[in-house]
Amino acid sequence: MNGKYQESDSMSRLVSENYAALLVMSRFKIALGFGDKSIGEVCRDNRVDGNTFLSVINMSDNALSPEALMDYLHCSHDYFLKYRLPDIRRKLAQVLNEGQDELNKAVLGYFDKFEAEMRKHMNYEDKKVFPYVKALLKNEPAEPCQLIFSKQHEQIECRLTEFKNILIKYYPAQSTNEMNSVLFDIFNCEQDFESHNAVEDRLFLPAIQKLERKNKRPA
Amino acid sequence: MSNRPIKITIIEPSLILRSGIIAVLKQIKSIPTEVFDIADLDELKTSPSGQKSELLIACPMISLPAIKKEMSRPDVKCLALLHNLLDGTTLKTYDEAISIYDSAEQIQEKLTKLLSDPLDGESDKKRHESLSQREKEIIVCVIKGMTNKQIADSLNLSSHTVISHRKNIAGKLQIHSTAGLTIYAIVNKLVDLP
Repeated sequence: MNGKYQESDSMSRLVSENYAALLVMSRFKIALGFGDKSIGEVCRDNRVDGNTFLSVINMSDNALSPEALMDYLHCSHDYFLKYRLPDIRRKLAQVLNEGQDELNKAVLGYFDKFEAEMRKHMNYEDKKVFPYVKALLKNEPAEPCQLIFSKQHEQIECRLTEFKNILIKYYPAQSTNEMNSVLFDIFNCEQDFESHNAVEDRLFLPAIQKLERKNKRPA
Repeated sequence: MSNRPIKITIIEPSLILRSGIIAVLKQIKSIPTEVFDIADLDELKTSPSGQKSELLIACPMISLPAIKKEMSRPDVKCLALLHNLLDGTTLKTYDEAISIYDSAEQIQEKLTKLLSDPLDGESDKKRHESLSQREKEIIVCVIKGMTNKQIADSLNLSSHTVISHRKNIAGKLQIHSTAGLTIYAIVNKLVDLP
């Protein structure tokens, strides 16, 4: 995202300059219809930690709150698993050529494998990493977990890119408009996923490591 | 550049010019060459050894397309051997030109330049080429779920060869996963469908 936004900037300016901010807003459960209010005002109205919101928007550590970030990431996981991927799969199943059952089975099989990989990765974060961070925040003993985000992210991103390329290069699509629409969704999803991963790799992971260092220090 | 001699075919009717260019090439110690020289197109037809050449030095009065056709090497790099003034259109079909007034250094420079860039272009082209029969067989084995060892045994290859084939397949198709190869194989009818 370009430039550094501040609490005093208007929310509508942010969105018109960066429509990807809409995704960030929905994951912070901020509703539309905010008129000319500033980013700070909208965050306060929606009980959202303004610093964390701006950290994600500006992709920089802006004294963010790990709790708020976890809520955000959890919503983001739901977006992919409960909305984005099922939506793409449904549309894809509709545009596949009739009478090519074996091929279509292989295409959907690829997608399902990819979806399962994504789900496994996100579930691990929801069920293992987030409880670990919550324990760290309370300074309670926590079962340590592996924080190998970036490598897994890269693998899953590659899977999706490969899938997209296979559809473009090899699938003999008959209905071009419909297939294009699915491809646009996949291109979008690719970008969404990359920015989601960037939040985890560049904001969340350093925040956890900071907590770990803090907890290790003798009181 | 390796020290393997560069195979060069020279086609030039004049014996004096032919001997001259061969003598100059021998002087260029940094580029070892293996020269095959003939006077004209008819001689090329009767002697097939010119076909393996990587470089062609020819008199521009002889039709270049005819030479390339005879060598069955449309992609061979060509230098014109100039001993008079020629119009630019003839020379355009050549990759480079050597004048009989060139010094050994100038010729060396031209050869080095020509030998260093063409191979990249060729390997680049290769990467987008279609799959070989062997590569197709390997894809079929991979999507059946066979391990590299099993593929090697069934096709009588070494595991190392199988791995290198798989790398080439991934490079050509930009597909790295078995699930992706399955889709490719079905689209391209590499497997029998029930």
